Amino acid sequence: MAEIRNYTINFGPQHPAAHGVLRLVLELDGEVVERADPHIGLLHRGTEKLAETRTWVQSVPYMDRLDYVSMMCNEHAYCMAIERLLGLEVPLRAQYIRVMFDEITRILNHLMGIGSHGLDIGAMTIILYTFREREDLMDVYEAVSGARMHAAYYRPGGVYRDLPERMPQYEVNRFKNEKTVRELNAARGGSLLDFLEDFTERFPGYCDEYETLLSDNRIWKQRTVGIGVVSPEEALERGFSGPMLRGSGIAWDLRKKQPYEVYDRVDFDVPVGKNGDCYDRYLCRMEEMRQSNRIIKQCIEWLRANPGPVITDNHKVAPPPREQMKANMEELIHHFKLFTEGIHVPAGEVYAAIEHPKGEFGVYAVSDGANKPYRLKLRAPGFAHLAAMDELSRGHMIADVVAIIGTMDIVFGEIDR
Amino acid sequence: MSIEGVFREGFVTTSLDAVINWTRTGSLWPVTFGLACCAVEMMHSGMSRYDLDRFGIIFRASPRQSDLMIVAGTLCNKMAPALRKVYDQMPEPRWVISMGSCANGGGYYHYSYSVVRGCDRIVPVDVYVPGCPPTAEALLYGIFQLQNKIKRTNTIAR
Amino acid sequence: MSAKLERLAQTLREILGDTLQSLVNDRGEVTIEVAAADYLRVAQTLRDHADLRFEQLIDVSGLDYAAYGNGAHEGRPKRFAAAAHLLSIKHNWRLRLRAFADDDAFPVLDSLVGVWPSANWYERETFDLYGIMFSGHPDLRRILTDYGFVGHPFRKDFPVSGHVEMRYDPEAGRVVYQPVTIEPRENTPRIVREENYGDVGHG
Repeated sequence: MAEIRNYTINFGPQHPAAHGVLRLVLELDGEVVERADPHIGLLHRGTEKLAETRTWVQSVPYMDRLDYVSMMCNEHAYCMAIERLLGLEVPLRAQYIRVMFDEITRILNHLMGIGSHGLDIGAMTIILYTFREREDLMDVYEAVSGARMHAAYYRPGGVYRDLPERMPQYEVNRFKNEKTVRELNAARGGSLLDFLEDFTERFPGYCDEYETLLSDNRIWKQRTVGIGVVSPEEALERGFSGPMLRGSGIAWDLRKKQPYEVYDRVDFDVPVGKNGDCYDRYLCRMEEMRQSNRIIKQCIEWLRANPGPVITDNHKVAPPPREQMKANMEELIHHFKLFTEGIHVPAGEVYAAIEHPKGEFGVYAVSDGANKPYRLKLRAPGFAHLAAMDELSRGHMIADVVAIIGTMDIVFGEIDR
Repeated sequence: MSIEGVFREGFVTTSLDAVINWTRTGSLWPVTFGLACCAVEMMHSGMSRYDLDRFGIIFRASPRQSDLMIVAGTLCNKMAPALRKVYDQMPEPRWVISMGSCANGGGYYHYSYSVVRGCDRIVPVDVYVPGCPPTAEALLYGIFQLQNKIKRTNTIAR
Repeated sequence: MSAKLERLAQTLREILGDTLQSLVNDRGEVTIEVAAADYLRVAQTLRDHADLRFEQLIDVSGLDYAAYGNGAHEGRPKRFAAAAHLLSIKHNWRLRLRAFADDDAFPVLDSLVGVWPSANWYERETFDLYGIMFSGHPDLRRILTDYGFVGHPFRKDFPVSGHVEMRYDPEAGRVVYQPVTIEPRENTPRIVREENYGDVGHG
């Protein structure tokens, strides 16, 4: 007679569905998960400790590398924390640019989240479609900051520079003839805003494409409906935020409830789920992308009409323009001080939170008046979500674990920091 | 592939090495070893715009089926034994591309207490791709460099 | 917003009374400090009292005040603290709750897992990085650092580059630890300027 016993398997750390370097120790009863013990820290890089050894501005690029799927949102929280500590006002145009790029980032993140979630549970096509749009948006990142991913575009006091007047063009070469290049450059004739506007016109159609691929797909529904159900009470006490909380039916969005920058001036809706399962969260994310598209449109309109400064003119925080620095002694000293010593932030502590695509991303910064942070604590939404992995996956089949990881939209850069 | 002589119509003669190397360069199967940010660019190079499939490069999830490892991202102390284990599981011949500054030498996290300062401390590396992260194009270029390197190796004639 | 925070501060003073060691309303945020002995009880009140109703524990962060203000902290007796960030969805306000651990050599605080389950991992992280013990925690293991890591890396006396580094040993056929070989480097020294040095407003 065969002896019946529970089985413990090790999932990861190198697993294509682990969204990075998650190691899960799963105790199974047959195919049913009895206990899941996530081991994290396989990407623990000590960002917070390193930030204590860098000046405030030098740590901005660290923020990009936290949640490497939504780069600018991380920077945003960090810059907001510094601005609150300084009591600094950001120019209105910079606020609009930030809101616009936050929403671009949200689309980027959700495209990645939905695409890889689909890939994980057997829908291969969707990721090829979502990455097509991600490429367009990464071109926007590249045009504005010079980097496809880690932009370091937001700075304390505003954004690094104004939006560019022209987009990079494709050129004719051995592989691309004139006709192809003309097609590829069709939307790139004007400024960055023109390119984005063209994108926002196209994007709802793309969303419909994704919906045809997934929303009514029988297999997709079988894999997601009723999987990983979170009740509203549980979502609250587990510290969930973002789509994980809204999917459970709690209409909580920091952009609406505690508006920062110009979110109180733009018009958008917050989608809320009903059942709190993976499918509802997927629908929330889809709708959030459409709403982000709406916000981007409004920002483009405003930005077209209102030129102006994009970074504060307080030159103890932001460097002076090049010409002024060359012409004016005082500005030269400011420039020198800024780049040798950095910003001095008055002593105090502040917690700045933003509605990150994955949830509430917060930066708790403690300053003792030095040119470096005394303590920087990054509150990652994924950390709280992954902590609930045990509760969410208990009683599910082992294949559903992958669906649950996908719906949490785990990114290890922010969880392990 | 070097064609060393055409004797008659329909026949090609070449060395066995050239054929072996040609087959190897044409079907590099990388194991997906995405660790951090670079993994996103690695995915981009495999997806719609850059499309690695047209070079015969297909991402495999299992190290046993692959002959190339792209170390994409920061390698941390906790992850290093797993990286070595995956490398040891790969069949010969195998190559390693170190992608991004973190894998090359620690990069931005060089001074951290928990980061391996370069994945070449753990596994032998063939090609280093610089950048933080390298663009998908840069990774493509790195793969071409690796293909050139493979073409130069002799398996039969030593 | 500030009127609302005033109201929150007032409510906190009324409800918590003497247990409050300090209440600071600064830069749009309220911070309260309580003794380690009151930490758990205050947390329970904060969650359950109808006028406060902090349903969500957003974050628990460890703090090490050993080097604060380049030694300006000398007078302060205690070194380790935990700061919990709370959020009330019902009232839409935030609060920071901080408690200093009594003993510097062996810092202990009560665990909040019983009040908010989300505290579980945050406290594990704080234990891992700062070595603050949480009594009553069901599963206080290391979470972020390597298996078998020695020390608590975020303490101010722990060097940034650590004590050990990793390499592959071909003889042993496995990955081994060796003493760290790199020199620490400081590009920009840490400077604390006098009051109002970098202050905005007279620039």
